[in-house]
Amino acid sequence: MTDTPLTTASAAAKGANLTRLFERVALILVWLLLIGGFGAAMPNSFLNWGNFAILFASYAPAALLALAIIVPLTAGDYDLSVGATLTLSSCVIGVLNVWQGLPIGLAIGLALCAGAAVGLVNAFFIIYVRIPSLVVTLGTTSLITGLVQWMTNSSTIGGIDNSLVMAVVGGRFLGVPYAFYYAIAAAVVMTYIFDFTPLGRRLLFVGRGREVARLNGIAVDRVRLGALVTSGVLAAAAGVLYAGVLGSADPYSGLNFLLPAFAAAFLGATTILPGRFNPWGAIVAVYFLATGITGLTMLGIPLWVTNVFNGGALILAVTISQFTRGREASDIG
Amino acid sequence: MLRRLYPLVLMASVALGAGAASAQDASGVENARKFLEPYLAKPAFTAPGEPFDAKACAAGKKMLSIPNSSANPFLKGIIDRMKKVGDELGLEVVEWENQGQPSQWVQGFEFAIRDGFDIIDLISGIDPGTVAPQVRAAKEAGVKVMTSHFYDPSFDQHPDVSSSLTIGFNEVGKILANWAIANTDGKANILTIVSREVPPTIPLTAGIDEMLAANCPDCRIVQEINVGVTEWATKIQPAVQAALQANPDINVIIPIYDSMSQFVVPATRLTGKVGQVKVATFNGTPFVLDFIAQGLVDMNIGESLDWIAYATVDGHLRDACGMESPTALNVPFYIFDKDNVADAGTPAQFDTGYGDAYVAGFRTLWGLDQ
Repeated sequence: MTDTPLTTASAAAKGANLTRLFERVALILVWLLLIGGFGAAMPNSFLNWGNFAILFASYAPAALLALAIIVPLTAGDYDLSVGATLTLSSCVIGVLNVWQGLPIGLAIGLALCAGAAVGLVNAFFIIYVRIPSLVVTLGTTSLITGLVQWMTNSSTIGGIDNSLVMAVVGGRFLGVPYAFYYAIAAAVVMTYIFDFTPLGRRLLFVGRGREVARLNGIAVDRVRLGALVTSGVLAAAAGVLYAGVLGSADPYSGLNFLLPAFAAAFLGATTILPGRFNPWGAIVAVYFLATGITGLTMLGIPLWVTNVFNGGALILAVTISQFTRGREASDIG
Repeated sequence: MLRRLYPLVLMASVALGAGAASAQDASGVENARKFLEPYLAKPAFTAPGEPFDAKACAAGKKMLSIPNSSANPFLKGIIDRMKKVGDELGLEVVEWENQGQPSQWVQGFEFAIRDGFDIIDLISGIDPGTVAPQVRAAKEAGVKVMTSHFYDPSFDQHPDVSSSLTIGFNEVGKILANWAIANTDGKANILTIVSREVPPTIPLTAGIDEMLAANCPDCRIVQEINVGVTEWATKIQPAVQAALQANPDINVIIPIYDSMSQFVVPATRLTGKVGQVKVATFNGTPFVLDFIAQGLVDMNIGESLDWIAYATVDGHLRDACGMESPTALNVPFYIFDKDNVADAGTPAQFDTGYGDAYVAGFRTLWGLDQ
């Protein structure tokens, strides 16, 4: 008799565990279903390793950008300037390497410094002047866009050092160009920091409740500053990859990556560690969206459908995310 | 008897049919090569009208040039050169600097009317229909509104526009198609990349279709990728990769505007198709000419900016002084490929490699070199 409540409780716990497990892998299952669907429709052209190798490499800058976004998002700040920082970084490389003749290594170093500088400027206005992150990063986006146009004379700069192109898309491992592995390496490092270091815990606490974190002795401002600078540097690294993939620097294109990257960041928060922005979730989400877009394009469906796909996935992801968090109000801003 | 003969008759008719088809293919390829010849030679100058005293006509006149966007280096280059030509003739050329926003174009019209300009030049991309009330107001105030490098000859000019110097987008399409036919020996399987929201796309793609039908019935457009201008960066590369994977028989890619090719090149590079798939495009933008030198793009149709500047000043002055204005810009198209791309400079420049036949031509026409 006394066993009954315990049995019910353990059954309920088992059920809850199963639901949680399903939640963790739901997006991966949907991704596999999507691959299966496109594979059935186009067995020869879609289901071959070459197709996936190209897909993995060409979306590596987008994956790195999504990783950049989730750092400040975890700490509770938006960084809308990552798209502009990506453009700034690739154009710094173009201007310094092609026009000024600087060695490519130095140009890349300065591009990453430019990303850190953007992070510092954002942090100054968000943390010390206390302006909402949405407003500040929207402002810096416009400011950087103007600077880039001035710097490049609004023209695309071709002829970036071939060694960068070779390092990004020239060499291959298991048939996949190196670009993909750079994004994976970033995700590995981020997972270690997020899940296995005190810094990662502090980042999460700051994002979940700034006042509580402050009262617990966490240097909230320093953590937020670090998160914004990290996102600047990672976005700049995405710009380096982008310059390597294109072999040129384009002053206009970076902003277009913003929405897909945010879609991936939020979609990623529904998987692996549901309810939390996490690096592997973001990577899975980027390639889930990329698979959808590639498959639809291969089927010859008009390209406006891809916008519907990206936007729809973003709204759906945030909705699911809200339900997983028990519909609590978001604290980001 | 008939049954025994049937296979022979069938074989003979197939052989005859094939022979006729291959003869037709050969003549089509030959036609395509002939069509391309004038565009491979250094452009020659053709006078757009009767000689006139350009200095006397230009004296005291002012022209406001409104580009689609001042951020576009192609348009900026044309206007800078128009200023220089204007200086010599006594025509004051002013640029209305803008960032491509219609509200800024409207301000430009108001400025021109208020400041007593004689000509408003809408250059490459501003559709007079989008600023119709301002075009009418300018006309009523005695300011002549003219367009250049915007309309295809097949388009109807806006009724309040005084004159238009058209550019043959349809001709560009024909060159691209014939180049694809000639460089695949009549076996072109083409991937086109277009932006259908941009008006010149329509006559340009029609030109491609016309020439394929006329000179190469076996050639085909395997797929058309339609991408809005603002989405070139995110959509062209994955779409081209997907198309190349799904259709391995594609052997020519035509991005109809050459700035698209910066997103085509990574796609051909990643799919390992560089050198196997030919890339042909239009606009003569310097970094794409550099791609030709690097073997990443095969052909680019260009126009000389300086020539466009001379032709625009010539055409607009003729209209402003009550003469008959030419209906077309008459700036010849020139094909750059691996054989002549070095003429464009290293790195390539906007205005190099086209020869300078037009300078002496216009100066004589205007009575400057007599």
